[in-house]
Amino acid sequence: MAIAARTRLRAVRPRGWWRYGVALAYVTFVLAPFLYMAVVALQSDSGAGSGDLLPTHPQFDNFARIWQTVDLGLYLRNSLIVATSTGAISSLLALGAAYVIARFRFPLRNVFRISLLATQTVPGIMLLLPLFVIYIIIQHSIQVRIVGTYWGLVLTYMTFALPFAIWLLSVYVKSLPVELEEQAIVDGANRFQVIRHVTLPLAIPGIVVTFVFSFLLAWNDILFASVLTSPETKTLGPGLQYYVSESFSIPYWNLLMAASLVVAVPAMILFLVVQRYIVAGLAAGSLKG
Amino acid sequence: MTIKGAALRVAVAAGLSGPRRSSHRSSIRVPYWLLSPSLIPLTLIVFVPMAFALYISLTGLNQNSIGDWTHAPFVGLKHYVDGLDPRGPLAPSFYGSIKASVVFSVATTLFTLPIGVGAALLLNGQLRGRTFLRAVMLLPYIIPTFVNGILWRLVFMTSTGIADQILAALHLGSRDTFWLIGPRSLWALIVADVWASWPFIYLMALAALQTIPADVYDAARIDGATPPRIFRRITLPLIAPTLGLGIALSTINHFNNFALPYVMFGPTPPDEVNVLPLNIYVNSFITFNLGLGAAMSVVALVIMLTPAVIYLRAARIGDTD
Repeated sequence: MAIAARTRLRAVRPRGWWRYGVALAYVTFVLAPFLYMAVVALQSDSGAGSGDLLPTHPQFDNFARIWQTVDLGLYLRNSLIVATSTGAISSLLALGAAYVIARFRFPLRNVFRISLLATQTVPGIMLLLPLFVIYIIIQHSIQVRIVGTYWGLVLTYMTFALPFAIWLLSVYVKSLPVELEEQAIVDGANRFQVIRHVTLPLAIPGIVVTFVFSFLLAWNDILFASVLTSPETKTLGPGLQYYVSESFSIPYWNLLMAASLVVAVPAMILFLVVQRYIVAGLAAGSLKG
Repeated sequence: MTIKGAALRVAVAAGLSGPRRSSHRSSIRVPYWLLSPSLIPLTLIVFVPMAFALYISLTGLNQNSIGDWTHAPFVGLKHYVDGLDPRGPLAPSFYGSIKASVVFSVATTLFTLPIGVGAALLLNGQLRGRTFLRAVMLLPYIIPTFVNGILWRLVFMTSTGIADQILAALHLGSRDTFWLIGPRSLWALIVADVWASWPFIYLMALAALQTIPADVYDAARIDGATPPRIFRRITLPLIAPTLGLGIALSTINHFNNFALPYVMFGPTPPDEVNVLPLNIYVNSFITFNLGLGAAMSVVALVIMLTPAVIYLRAARIGDTD
């Protein structure tokens, strides 16, 4: 009774209107730069960068030109392939390692866990040259192409994606009830079947988070992509850079902004779809740390 | 509902209350084969390159010896001594970069903290259109760093940029205020990075807030606690572990951010924003003193272990399980 009354009381009390004011302030803060991007995207080639806030003749065909001036479709496809693979492969490999860390004790377990966090502190720029040299050595010794391929890029992004994913998923798996797994083993399942049919479905929220983080890592990168891609595997980072490169007499700010807005759409859709899982999965990964 | 249930289970399992569960079954054979698909690539792409970078830092590797790098002269700790010698010729640039990086990463983290936590508190409560708003908050996070750099370069361009136009319109400053050169460049960089990276703190804070059961608040309210008191005594201690990880990781990420300052200021930035990754890049790939660049990377790594160690100590990871 008392609880019901309190709930009703809270329901009828007008929610603070100031919350909507604060929400509006946040939305403005987030969207204002996007608005500015849209303004620049609609300017003419010579008008872009001139500082005119209201283009007198909005160039809507800029959004058509971006597909012709550079091979934006190819870059978008490459980025989607590389980022999705990075997300999926890191998450699945990490789940196996995370499971072992969460459920077993073994020598050097803590050393391994702490070194995972330590890898997050490595400056990307520190690994760029050694990685490149190592890839070249491997290419020469076993005649497999790495530099300029999709999987070479995916492997590189796993440098940073895998430790984060193992860290997060190990804490997540630890939070799952061990009884279900024991039951499955009693029923005759082997270790792989346990993970495949018991742990994996339960860990989906955590896996979604590691997927999204690994995806964005690959999606946003420019440092490794500019060194490790070929013309056929070029991703959005170095691809978009072309608009402001020395190849043109003037920088095409307008086309760059138009293209950036367009390519943000796939990532935005991904976020909208999975955002409910992101929050739940992150909570698990960090509580115990 | 199930998500909330899972989060609650996590809170319990994480040892917030109750006895520790015994999930270790050392009697059963450890399935090392499950570790190997992660360990092998990690060894190949993290540990070996790190060891290699350490070795390069001890050699005089440059554009002449790169083709035959195995025979680059071994110079021992020369680069470390050269770079760290306070009276040496490299000291102003190197120490300047360390200072710029520390100031930039700490300031950015301090600014993103209240913005992120504020948004998380707001969107943790009841609000019309909450689902939509939660997604909107993540938008800056999906703009590639390179595009973000160009965007803010346009915003901060002298006299034609929107920053100077607004300043002039509000009579707060001159239309010819320089943002991309001189001491104000630090502020331009901080603003650009704060806008792009605060959703990370927001995500971490929101995730932590979701694990706090509603009846904790109800109990506090019945006891007559005021909202600021509830925040200080209940909310803050409960979200502290997650937020701690967020703060440590974001400090590290800001410190290691190469793309943003590079795109905004190019290879010859003003001193205030000549952050360590830029300095390393110039030394390694423009003047091709790869040994010195690697030595600076190692110093950067050591500096960045500080927030990681502070976090590990605070969270007591590795003490027991």
